[in-house]
Amino acid sequence: MLGGLNTRVMLEYLPEIWQGFLATLFLSAASFVGAMVLGVLACALAIQPLRWLRAPAVVYVDAIRATPLLAQLYFLYFGLPRLGVVLPEMLIGIIALSLNSGAYMAEIIRSGILSIPRGQVEAGMSTGLSYLQRMRLIVLPQALRVTVSPLIGQAIVLIKDSSLLSLISVVELTRAGQRIAIDRFMPVEGLVATALGYLVLYYVLKSAAGAWQARNSLPGRG
Amino acid sequence: MIEFSGVNKWFGSLHVLRDISLTVARGEVVVVCGPSGSGKSTLIRCINGLEPFQSGRLLVDGTDLADRKALLRLRTEVGFVFQSFNLYPHKTALENVTLAPIHVRRLSRAQAEERGRALLEKVGLADKMDSYPHQLSGGQQQRVAIARSLCMQPKIMLFDEPTSALDPEMINEVLDVMVGLAREGMTMMVVTHEMGFARKVADRVIFMDRGAIVETAPPETFFTAPAHARTRDFLSKILHQ
Amino acid sequence: MVWFYLERIFGYWPVLLKGMGMTIGLSLLSLVIGVAIGFGFGIIRAGRNRWAARALGLYIDFFRATPFLVQVFIVFFILPQVGIELSAFAAGVVALSNMAACFIGEIVAAGLKAVPPGQSEAALASGMTRAQQMRLVVMPQAVRIITPSLVGQFVLLIKDSSVVSAIGLLDLTRSGWLIVQSVPNGLLVFGIVGVGYFIICYPLIHLSRRLERRGQAAFL
Repeated sequence: MLGGLNTRVMLEYLPEIWQGFLATLFLSAASFVGAMVLGVLACALAIQPLRWLRAPAVVYVDAIRATPLLAQLYFLYFGLPRLGVVLPEMLIGIIALSLNSGAYMAEIIRSGILSIPRGQVEAGMSTGLSYLQRMRLIVLPQALRVTVSPLIGQAIVLIKDSSLLSLISVVELTRAGQRIAIDRFMPVEGLVATALGYLVLYYVLKSAAGAWQARNSLPGRG
Repeated sequence: MIEFSGVNKWFGSLHVLRDISLTVARGEVVVVCGPSGSGKSTLIRCINGLEPFQSGRLLVDGTDLADRKALLRLRTEVGFVFQSFNLYPHKTALENVTLAPIHVRRLSRAQAEERGRALLEKVGLADKMDSYPHQLSGGQQQRVAIARSLCMQPKIMLFDEPTSALDPEMINEVLDVMVGLAREGMTMMVVTHEMGFARKVADRVIFMDRGAIVETAPPETFFTAPAHARTRDFLSKILHQ
Repeated sequence: MVWFYLERIFGYWPVLLKGMGMTIGLSLLSLVIGVAIGFGFGIIRAGRNRWAARALGLYIDFFRATPFLVQVFIVFFILPQVGIELSAFAAGVVALSNMAACFIGEIVAAGLKAVPPGQSEAALASGMTRAQQMRLVVMPQAVRIITPSLVGQFVLLIKDSSVVSAIGLLDLTRSGWLIVQSVPNGLLVFGIVGVGYFIICYPLIHLSRRLERRGQAAFL
């Protein structure tokens, strides 16, 4: 099957695939930043002591986690114009991806913070550090180490999820591959080119996570 | 019953068993001691094929260990007690004891349970039949592990440092069970530093160092007049703890 | 105004109901197949045959690396080229269960490796065959370790099933997409669709969290 690949057509569409690849990178990077901001905010709300401030964070995280990204995407895509907000598809996509990944990031950061032994906080208390000082100087630096790998994992999920934006006609890697399929009736060539693009991103991030883990695991804690 | 002749084993370039020759007769109780890394655990792990070896011959109850097909049957004849108990955490004490008899020996559940209850009673755990391992103390867990091995009605029992993971106050409850077993005539090889146990029931004590058997002697000679300097050195260290 | 739209949307309730049924049916069927194959994958991945484990690892990596949408297209558009024609439903089941099997396979492999080696040694020492060790001693413990992540995986599978709407399968998401063409209020329509998913997924998320907490408390 792969022997019959029309590499000439694939090369001919290389510029479009490359553009799609870059668009996927850009979309994912922008959404990653947005998700990070939302994740930190939601996590900060979820771990602070006031119940009525925790509620919105919990509702946000659970609502996102219990519904599919595609439904969230359509919710914004078909819903925002109703509110008189007309945005380009790409921006809608970035908002949807940020909202979606933000909820997962909040969970990742939260479990990172909860993984810090209670004794660390108590040691900080006993030396007279305030809540914010304990967070900034003791808890967060340690929590960050354990969250890097899952955050990279979330980045991989984000990149793959961004393919759904092709369904609201954002031109990215998946959409670019479909162009070969549609223009030339060559779905195999289009999908192979697309898959290769994602595989590259996957292996780069996966080895980055591995390298980071190897270098930064805390001595004595694996 | 157990016959090593010229057995050698390497871990990569590390020579862990050097030219071991040793015979253990039926009903004999042999205690193996030596510093850590001397190869004593490896020695008894070879006897039921938990560790392969590279050269030499090992006969257990007439079966050549080189015969991988006979190994499975042989293991049912040789009980093994681990330093870290290795009880199955998802099974109760009684289920731990009856699992292999039911699935390997093909006993009926009723038969296996009858046998298992009797053995748990024998090791003093009649009231712990339905407890899970995490609900038991270390000494109790190790006694369940001994009952688990006995339930297969083995001809030989091997013990790999059975008391070294235990708190001091629990060591005796396990040793008492082992002494009882020795007095019943079980063939036993025991890797341990419990010299009181060796004095009481061992027929022979073996001292190993750097993969080789340095000295073999009956306990009275071993403790009062060891022949080798290395044995004396080792004994003075562990007896003065 | 909102009531007006709500009334119109509920005029479409048979479509919504059909979509919900499809989402549940598709997910359940793929779940059963995916779990069965996934356990097989896991045993091979954690097994002693290095080459089989590595070859399977490459296959699994491919499906972990590419978006599910691309996988759905591969099943729907490439398989017919090698003579395997599938209906949209069958294509959905194949793609979903295959992806689930890949993710579950890695979870199962990790669970098997997390069981202490002393456990299979003890089983070995009592004369059990490799199959008996796996069935009676190692797998039951691995299953306890991985149950929370497995349930989490089920939630992902249900949500991923929405992607199959892209090849025209009338699931819950697709039913929303159809309704929004004639009732132009995306917030309400997909709000209702979201509630549908929430009803299915939220109990599972809750269950997964509880299992996780219980596992930490009781087992170790």
